[in-house]
Amino acid sequence: MSLRLIAACLLFAGIFSAPVLALDSKKIYELNAERVFQVRVLNRETGKKSSIGSGFIVGDGSQIATNYHVISQIILEPELFYISFISKDGQEGELKLLGLDVAHDLALLGADEPIGEAITMSPLPPRGAPIFAMGNPLDLGLTIAVGTNGGILNQTDDSRILFSGSLNPGMSGGPTFNERGEAIGINVATARNAISFIVPSRFLNDLIEQSTTSAINEATDLKNEVARQVLAYESNYIEQLLAADWPSLDLRRFKLPGIISPTVRCWDNSAKLSAVARYKRYQIRCANKNHVYLDGDNKFVGNLVYEYFWLESEDLNALQFYNLYENLNKDQIESKLNRDIVSNFNCRTWFIEVSAQELKSNLCRREYVEYEGMSDVLFTAALTGHSNQGFFITLIMTGVDYESTLPLVQRFLEQIEWKP
Amino acid sequence: METLILEISTRGLHRYQQIDREVTTIGRALDNDIILSDPTVAPHHLKIIRHADSKLELVNLSEINPTRVNNQRLSSVVTEKLPLKLEIGRVHAQLLPRDHAVADTRSLAGNGHGKNLFGHTYWTVLLVLACLFLGGMEFFLNSYNTVKWSDLFKYILRETVLTIGVFVLALSILERLLVNRWEIRQLITSVCLVYLLFNFVSMSGHGLNYLFSASWPTTWLHFGWYLTFIPCAIALYLIHISHIKHNRAILLAILIASPIAVPAILQSQHLRTLLDDFSPSAKYQNSLSAFNWHLKDSVTIDSFIEQARELTPGEFAD
Repeated sequence: MSLRLIAACLLFAGIFSAPVLALDSKKIYELNAERVFQVRVLNRETGKKSSIGSGFIVGDGSQIATNYHVISQIILEPELFYISFISKDGQEGELKLLGLDVAHDLALLGADEPIGEAITMSPLPPRGAPIFAMGNPLDLGLTIAVGTNGGILNQTDDSRILFSGSLNPGMSGGPTFNERGEAIGINVATARNAISFIVPSRFLNDLIEQSTTSAINEATDLKNEVARQVLAYESNYIEQLLAADWPSLDLRRFKLPGIISPTVRCWDNSAKLSAVARYKRYQIRCANKNHVYLDGDNKFVGNLVYEYFWLESEDLNALQFYNLYENLNKDQIESKLNRDIVSNFNCRTWFIEVSAQELKSNLCRREYVEYEGMSDVLFTAALTGHSNQGFFITLIMTGVDYESTLPLVQRFLEQIEWKP
Repeated sequence: METLILEISTRGLHRYQQIDREVTTIGRALDNDIILSDPTVAPHHLKIIRHADSKLELVNLSEINPTRVNNQRLSSVVTEKLPLKLEIGRVHAQLLPRDHAVADTRSLAGNGHGKNLFGHTYWTVLLVLACLFLGGMEFFLNSYNTVKWSDLFKYILRETVLTIGVFVLALSILERLLVNRWEIRQLITSVCLVYLLFNFVSMSGHGLNYLFSASWPTTWLHFGWYLTFIPCAIALYLIHISHIKHNRAILLAILIASPIAVPAILQSQHLRTLLDDFSPSAKYQNSLSAFNWHLKDSVTIDSFIEQARELTPGEFAD
């Protein structure tokens, strides 16, 4: 009897709740279907699409907002590609680039004449509130995805909202609406099923305002502009890191910098050893999440990774121990970029006194071919002078101004403490 | 009339024929005094007439591939000057006086008449044992887990015995083809010596890398090993053990060393280092040493940062 009652209640709830949700998303779709477009990068020679995304009308009605990564192809080859939009009804036209916010993955595009009514912007609704992402997934047509607001993510330097809904390729650059049909952000990325990310609308407002005073024009060197923005963002990020108090963490005989920023997450990365291993190894890997999309070749820069590795053994003799220790001391920057994108690394070796210990250290840098002043930096330092204890630290930063990283390396070394 | 000697060379091997008649005929037909079965030799190719006054007359009988004497075409020549170089078809020969000097006798055990590493079996056994010991040491130095004796034997069999065995087999077949002899013991001695030296050079390179905080020691040792040491070692072996003449030995050494050296050089990262070719990886000094001998002084953090400012940008590859 009670089961029947529960079933009846569920059916009743279903009948009355489903149309309410459908009505909301349907209404939002209908309200904005004429104001959300597919944004495409087309090859001038073939006339065919090279990449697609979504975009929506903002500002004075002739501007379209999208993601930087949707149109980034024109940065490297502006002569070969151009940007255009196409509406649900087939209305299309060429767009020019008005503004870029590379760090937050935003681009502002402009049509020759107004193409519709601009979508109203709004701040973020409360956490848990329903939000609606519109876009053109996989070139299949305009759709709307329903989800909830997961709040601003501090690990992304406050530049992303967690959207517990599904974004698919092609929806990037489309608007995310609140229940009133106002844009609270721009679709940007997805991690996996129903975990997606939105750029808060305040960054888009800043970009629209900025473009009224200093819009990009034909004379602008786009690569220089991208490099300038990325380097400014990364330098500011490093300054923020240096200004903060760093908590420490312990790894065997060392006291080390811990989670130095809310953007950083640390994980135990220790490898599982076999039962017959005659040594112990412990590894902590910390990495940030606020990466910056650079272009189709380079993908992301702005990585900050620091890794600590401890090795000890009571059973191995010094020669065996150092054989093992050396074999493990070979960290690299993971991205395998080719000669068209980056230079060779230039490395130099030092023996540095740190907390009364000696660290064999290497500092390496490589430069980006297309982006002046942008470097990847790799710093490693391995403990020497102990017959059965080894330790090394690896610090990696990508897409940064080399000089700006040195204070960070210095701070790391100064905060390393050997516990006798 | 003094008896003469005709030295006939075929593929590096010599046979000797006495010429003591007044008239000697040479050709492919079976009615000749000296029969050469080479297809480029005519049935009746050359006639040698010895005159009473010690003069020698050579008469060419073949229109096809006529005989050459001291590199000149011959129809007929009278001479008393020996030795004479002859080309009969493609067969090389020499007419020599009976008292023609011969080279010094070479010891089977190489120079020193047995008082060297190649002279006695016990040296070979000692070197093989040293190689096996080194193989075992390698195994222990690279064993970071508890090990079993069976693993040690497997490693030595796989890494040491197999490596030495393959080289000895390949080189002994080569030697058999070149000088028609088997000299297995001397080859085992040589390959073991090279194996021991190779490991010594590798370890030294690693130590020097750490000492100088640089990679040039291993780079140059690598090139020196394959481009100088290996060809020289093969040439010395061919001269002193296989008893091949110097010029030929050097040429053969280069030919034998090439299949070993060329791939080793081309595939090595040292070549890329030397050519400064592009690498997506940072080539930094990751070598670590239990002895911790290094020439660079330790610096303070401030001093390091000061010097780090001068680190020049990476160079773009062509």
